[in-house]
Amino acid sequence: MEILSPEEIVESFKTTLGGDFIDSRIYQREVAIKKNLFTSIWIQVKREAFRKSVEHICKLQEYPHLSVISSADREDSVELIYHFTIYYGHHLKALSLGLRLSLPKSDLKIPTITDIIPGAIFTERETQEMMGVEVIGIPDKRRLFLPDDFPEGVYPWRKDETGPHDMLRVLPGREGIKNE
Amino acid sequence: MSETQTKTSYTIPIGPIHPAVHEAIRLDVSVEGEEIVDVDVVVGQVHRGIEWIGMNRNNPIQSIYLAERVCGICSASHPFTFVQAVEQAAGIEVPQRAEYIRVIVAEMERIHSHLLWAGVAAHEIGFDSVFYLVWRVREKVMDLTEYITGNRNSKAMYQIGGVRRDITEEQFPRIREALEYYKGVFNQLKTVFLEDITVRMRTKKVGILKTEDALRFLAVGPTARASGVPKDVRQDYAYSAYADLDIKAITPDVLTGTIVGDVYDRIIVRLLEVKQSIEIIERCLAEMPPGDILSEPKIAKLLATLKKAEGEGVGQHEAPRGEVVHYVRLQAGQETLATWKIRAPTYANLMSMPTILIGGQIADVPIAFASIDPCMSCTNRAIVVDSKTKRKSVLTDKELHELSVEKTRRLKAKFDNH
Amino acid sequence: MSLNSFKRALWVYQLNTGSCNGCDIEILAALTPRYDLERFGIVLVGSPRHADVLLVTGPVTRQMAPRLKRIYEQTPDPKVVIAIGGCGLEGGVFYESYNLVGPIDQVIPVDVYVPGCPPRPEAIIEAVVKAWVKLEKAAEQKVA
Repeated sequence: MEILSPEEIVESFKTTLGGDFIDSRIYQREVAIKKNLFTSIWIQVKREAFRKSVEHICKLQEYPHLSVISSADREDSVELIYHFTIYYGHHLKALSLGLRLSLPKSDLKIPTITDIIPGAIFTERETQEMMGVEVIGIPDKRRLFLPDDFPEGVYPWRKDETGPHDMLRVLPGREGIKNE
Repeated sequence: MSETQTKTSYTIPIGPIHPAVHEAIRLDVSVEGEEIVDVDVVVGQVHRGIEWIGMNRNNPIQSIYLAERVCGICSASHPFTFVQAVEQAAGIEVPQRAEYIRVIVAEMERIHSHLLWAGVAAHEIGFDSVFYLVWRVREKVMDLTEYITGNRNSKAMYQIGGVRRDITEEQFPRIREALEYYKGVFNQLKTVFLEDITVRMRTKKVGILKTEDALRFLAVGPTARASGVPKDVRQDYAYSAYADLDIKAITPDVLTGTIVGDVYDRIIVRLLEVKQSIEIIERCLAEMPPGDILSEPKIAKLLATLKKAEGEGVGQHEAPRGEVVHYVRLQAGQETLATWKIRAPTYANLMSMPTILIGGQIADVPIAFASIDPCMSCTNRAIVVDSKTKRKSVLTDKELHELSVEKTRRLKAKFDNH
Repeated sequence: MSLNSFKRALWVYQLNTGSCNGCDIEILAALTPRYDLERFGIVLVGSPRHADVLLVTGPVTRQMAPRLKRIYEQTPDPKVVIAIGGCGLEGGVFYESYNLVGPIDQVIPVDVYVPGCPPRPEAIIEAVVKAWVKLEKAAEQKVA
């Protein structure tokens, strides 16, 4: 496995994905006294090229490390970011790679990657219950953190009408936070 | 050996448990005779909605103290990661002296956490006296933490742009004296945990996690390193003062020459990391640069900067249990965080739990589960359902713990009779 | 308050209803030789049916609320409930979350409150002693 520079990694994505590659950003920062570089790469792709992008990351390092899937409610769409770490195990050479996709709220579906990376199961279950995104092909559909008697259709991370506004625990004698 | 498959539901004594510390996780274990054939992990009992609070109610500075209470044992790791992510998102610089102080506090926490775990592991095997002794030894680092930060547990040292308190030259002798104490005690700890015959019999070849499984299930921290995967955020990423210090990930072949991935290897990794932490703190004290500790001391100005900032950042840190990751996105004009995602290390290690337990015995469940050092407390209640007669019998926590202690007695007796 | 007339040992049961573990660590630290709760005759037991005192930590999450009620009912009278830590008092820093049922005294009656995040082991020992005095007084009044 050879270690590519951040610019070479972005180029390899552009070559593999062609028209499905939307945007990229490289962030670098000098750290502490010896001024070593901390690098993180952010790549935005179209949702159709999602599985192809994950397979491409597996070519950069055989078992890439997926930290977590973060999701954000952006009014009419939901933005998912898959946070990967590649080149771990090598002194000061690891890179943080964020794979960004945008899903319209009318069609919140994304294929699973547990066949490639079995360790993604917990974070996919969490995205399903907290954001309302349906993960197609997930081997275990149960809720992860929310109790079973939590109402269906209420998604705690959303800011729209499906948010948890009615479920807040306001202490007796206090008013709750005001929702604009 | 009977042929019926009984389904037993255990909530295992892990974490500090003298005696039962109660539920934050449930394991449903299916057994055939004495051998475990299937495990299911059910979590969620400690879900408090922290990310929601950070996105809807708190400003970023209040969220630092909220992040501290994600876990009471590794309570310096989460704020450390969080402030790194916010500083990346907002473009705030950190003075070099603050970076070194951050590392010193984080390494002191690692010493306290690993000693806590060592005591718990000893209790699981049945050595209660070792549990008491190790926790007594741990009190020295708790006193040191209180001397430097003001509190034993929730340290509140981290601030966006630096640290809140300085470590002055007058405080250095007291720190060095505590480190000398631990260096003196270290050899005794090694003898008790690594060379005792009973400990070896209970922990070798128990709870094995192969290298390939550790890579596929994304294990982190000492659990991954004991299986031969050299993942250590301090070695891999350049962040804070670790970038100057040349940290090397510790794998068990440093001491024994081979990698098995059992509980014994995990004990080796954690004990050697205590030694590594002592060396890191000494280097930081020797190389501490002068200067400010905060890039923006006035809080009102800091809040105004954060309100105008727009950007995103990812922070990582190697907590005592593994990699902690925080992702933060800030939006201009919004006082709360726009997006906040936390990933604590135990949720990554829990996915390897079925692989570790399957094929083992019930009496090994407490020690195997404790060996991944889960950062949650646990219940003890076992319900055994005989699938043929549908009769339920309940094993209490005492009986489950007794099963583990009984195995130790049996093995010891067998050895003594030779 | 004099400590020379305790007529029985005190058996304590600890329950975590979703806390961060900080308070639980300080309770266990109170047992170690430095603070040594056991020299007063205080013992931690493994079942609520043997307990005199319930030490409860944590804001009560939805999943833990039925279990908390069940354990309170399983503990025989006379009993004392001690709520430890800021979470148990008012929810602590989590006070408006969507997964909380309420601070402990909204679910079961509480006798002694120990503020702190987390409270020091000395504060926990003082709380247990206060609970002990309360129990002794209750026993005396029954006899009288």
